Amino acid sequence: MKKLFTFLITILTILSTQAQTVVSGKITDKKGEILPFANIALEGTYDGASADENGKFSFSTDEKGIKKLLVTMVGFLNAQKEIQLNGQKVEVEIKLEETINSLNAVVVTAGMFEASDEKKMVMLKPLDIVTTAGGNADIVSVMQLLPGSNRVGEREGLFVRGGSANETKTVIDGMIVQNPFFSSTPDVPQRGRFDPFMFKGTAFSTGGYSALYGQALSSVLLLNTQDKLGENTSTTASLNLASAAVTHTHKGWLTGTLYYSNITPLIKLVKNNYDFEKVPEGVGASVSVNENFKNNSSLKIYGTFADNRSAINLPNYDVENTKYLFANTNKNAFTNASYRQSYKDGLWVLNSGVSYSKNMDNLKIGNIKADREDERTQLRAVMSRLYGNNRSSTFNFGAETHWINVSNQFEQNLATLKDHYSAIFAESEMFASPQLAIRLGARAEYSSAIGKYNAVPRISMAYKTGKYSQVSLAGGRFYQNPDKEYLYLNKNLGFESSDHIIANYQIMKLGRTFRTEVFYKKYENLVVEKGQAFDPNPYRFPTGQTDNSGNGFAQGFDMFFRDQKSLKNGDVWVTYSFLDTERYFRNYPKSVMPYFASKHNMSVVYKQFFTKIATNVGLTFSHASGRPVYGINEDFGKVEMTKPYQNVSFMASKIKQTANSFLVFYAIVDNVLGRNNVFGYRYSVDGSKRYEVNPPMKRMIFFGVSWTFGKLNGRSKEADLNF
Amino acid sequence: MKKLVLSITLAISSVAVFAQKEKFEAIMTEQAAAIQANYEGSYMPMANKMERIAGAEAKEWTPQYWSAYCLINETFKLKEAGEKDLLLEKAAVFIEKAEMLSPNNDEIEVLKAQYAMAKLSVDPMSRWQKYGADFQTALKRAEEINPENPRVPYVMGTNIFYTPEGFGGGQAKAKPYFEKALAKFSTFKSATAYAPNWGKDASNYFLSQIK
Repeated sequence: MKKLFTFLITILTILSTQAQTVVSGKITDKKGEILPFANIALEGTYDGASADENGKFSFSTDEKGIKKLLVTMVGFLNAQKEIQLNGQKVEVEIKLEETINSLNAVVVTAGMFEASDEKKMVMLKPLDIVTTAGGNADIVSVMQLLPGSNRVGEREGLFVRGGSANETKTVIDGMIVQNPFFSSTPDVPQRGRFDPFMFKGTAFSTGGYSALYGQALSSVLLLNTQDKLGENTSTTASLNLASAAVTHTHKGWLTGTLYYSNITPLIKLVKNNYDFEKVPEGVGASVSVNENFKNNSSLKIYGTFADNRSAINLPNYDVENTKYLFANTNKNAFTNASYRQSYKDGLWVLNSGVSYSKNMDNLKIGNIKADREDERTQLRAVMSRLYGNNRSSTFNFGAETHWINVSNQFEQNLATLKDHYSAIFAESEMFASPQLAIRLGARAEYSSAIGKYNAVPRISMAYKTGKYSQVSLAGGRFYQNPDKEYLYLNKNLGFESSDHIIANYQIMKLGRTFRTEVFYKKYENLVVEKGQAFDPNPYRFPTGQTDNSGNGFAQGFDMFFRDQKSLKNGDVWVTYSFLDTERYFRNYPKSVMPYFASKHNMSVVYKQFFTKIATNVGLTFSHASGRPVYGINEDFGKVEMTKPYQNVSFMASKIKQTANSFLVFYAIVDNVLGRNNVFGYRYSVDGSKRYEVNPPMKRMIFFGVSWTFGKLNGRSKEADLNF
Repeated sequence: MKKLVLSITLAISSVAVFAQKEKFEAIMTEQAAAIQANYEGSYMPMANKMERIAGAEAKEWTPQYWSAYCLINETFKLKEAGEKDLLLEKAAVFIEKAEMLSPNNDEIEVLKAQYAMAKLSVDPMSRWQKYGADFQTALKRAEEINPENPRVPYVMGTNIFYTPEGFGGGQAKAKPYFEKALAKFSTFKSATAYAPNWGKDASNYFLSQIK
């Protein structure tokens, strides 16, 4: 038998050698440029060759008849060609089409500042949020150092390109967050409720954002939560001047956190002008579930509950040298569940989510009892279909619906508002080529509170001007319901609206980035209060007649330059924004620059990592030119400006890692130079006296430690700087 | 006559199958040896050849494995981050196919750890969180499937070797891993002549570098 095999093999070999065909040719791209090292294979056989540096190849084969020649190359679409094999030399020339991939594709960047590890053409990495001095590991504080946002020191929130803080919505995994900050206290800015380590990506829009989002006249802050990371179990304990917390992660999928906060150590140590009746104290807990399933689906659930209490004596501007009590017992719950499923090998992707939040502020203002309550339930689903070259293009469509209840009780006066808000939207991002992307979207909304519909277009595009540079445009119309204070009193108001147009140029080359943007924003249908003398108190309750006759504009440009190359382990960024804005809105009698706007904003951020001692040091300088001051009964003739805001802040963190534990020490000094910043003035009731609004701590010092132990995923980022 | 025709047909077809298998084994043995002996040159010609074999042998996991192995190792020779990611994107497809053909395979898990390390090294500061976790998870699974696989301690050792001391790494800490790997290599026998068998020489090399 063996002999027979040998015999037959020999016969076959002889037969085949006689019929060998030589296949040769050349591989180029569509323009005819040579492509070296492509892989050429005869389908179903081992026969084939690699193209040489001149794009040429040649091989011989024993196969006969009509066969397919397959050509593959990284960065190009697969190509095939049928060839006839009959012993006659075959010559082919094959042109490959470039794939649209992460390396060559243009990115729509106009109006968007992103922090991402995976994406290209982004200005920031998620780690920047915790390593930037002056950012205090608070997402919004870091965003305030970016171009496009205005520094407003006495209130929380993002004031984007002439917009108020109410014009920015915070969105977690597609769901609007009703209370992104700890409850407001007059003239005391609050931190964000969410830990930056929860998120794998942060995108800060300065306008012209996607049709997938709405109800924000100026900006959206998009936060995407982490996916499941590994299957390790670990525990982190942290302690600082204001809080203590323990986080435990079980096998990567279940994480629980408990914290207690109390700022007594901080105010004992740092000189301040707080006058607490009860030092802010809080307890909180959160649970998150993060699991990937076999059928290409994943589930994320996040739930958190917090109870915070404080009582502070605030200056009573009406009677000199007196104070009134502002006490708040706050309970806040937020839950968010999102489910993602992909079908047909990732061709279709469904993202759906449900969220519920409730916030209760039980206030005591002087001797008056007041309660603020809000509740939001929302559902959302977005279906995405990928198509085109290398599945680079996407078509998204979906819907969301919200049930919102808000109420405000002040003594015997109860104001309530119920809204059922729904939206449908569709958007397509098409790549005509790797150089050109166009995004077209549309969104329609209905709000039951005002009983009105709207429908808006959104458009953006990007064109690649060179290997490292690109231009991008974005525009559209944006609608938002009037602030609840106005809706409480007048439910006949309509949507406020804004139109944006933004042009952007950016170049990123070898660790250096430059980006510049020009924008124009037009406001219409802003709510105006009529028939009253001007009162500048931002915390007042409106009383006058209201309608949608307001308007305004904002225009300007900004620049961002970052260099991660010139200094070894060093990183420097410089930003500058110019803003020219006026608006006729709220109780302003005419169109003027709003009190929260400043013409020039700049910041310089420097970070240095010292590898030997595993220490990161950062220094940030920020400057904002003066903001307009409008006094009581102001005639808005000659406008006074506050003195410029300036701040130098410093931070350092040291990491100490052993096999099973990870220690981080950190320290922050804010306003190192102790400058007396003035954010504006508050007035006595007759307008005869005014008082500066200052930060409660002139120079703040803060430090703490975080310790993670258990199975570690190498250099754990969670523990890096957990405030 | 009919019987004779049938038996000849059978004989020829079985010869063809036999010849195909023999051809596969011969070329795989030759290529796997060449890949594992490559330190200086480009992996791309070998990657191409393996890809051709992978295309023709739809049921074998080893050509898929070696295609991914070549692409992953090629990225360590490249400079530009974007190019590395493109090669790794292609490698991920081979890994996925290999896993489908041979589920619960410790060698594929080790390769997944290598893949995670390659992804991570493109941008360590910001990718550590995701790919550091993937790296650990893959090696843990590999060890669960086959505690005797010497490449588990070897790959772990190289990772620790290149991690700065301030972050819990360093040469001294890597040493026991290479020693453990060598102990396992002394008894390790690969399943076929073309199954993964790399890491022994490199373990010796790393040990010689550690003072």
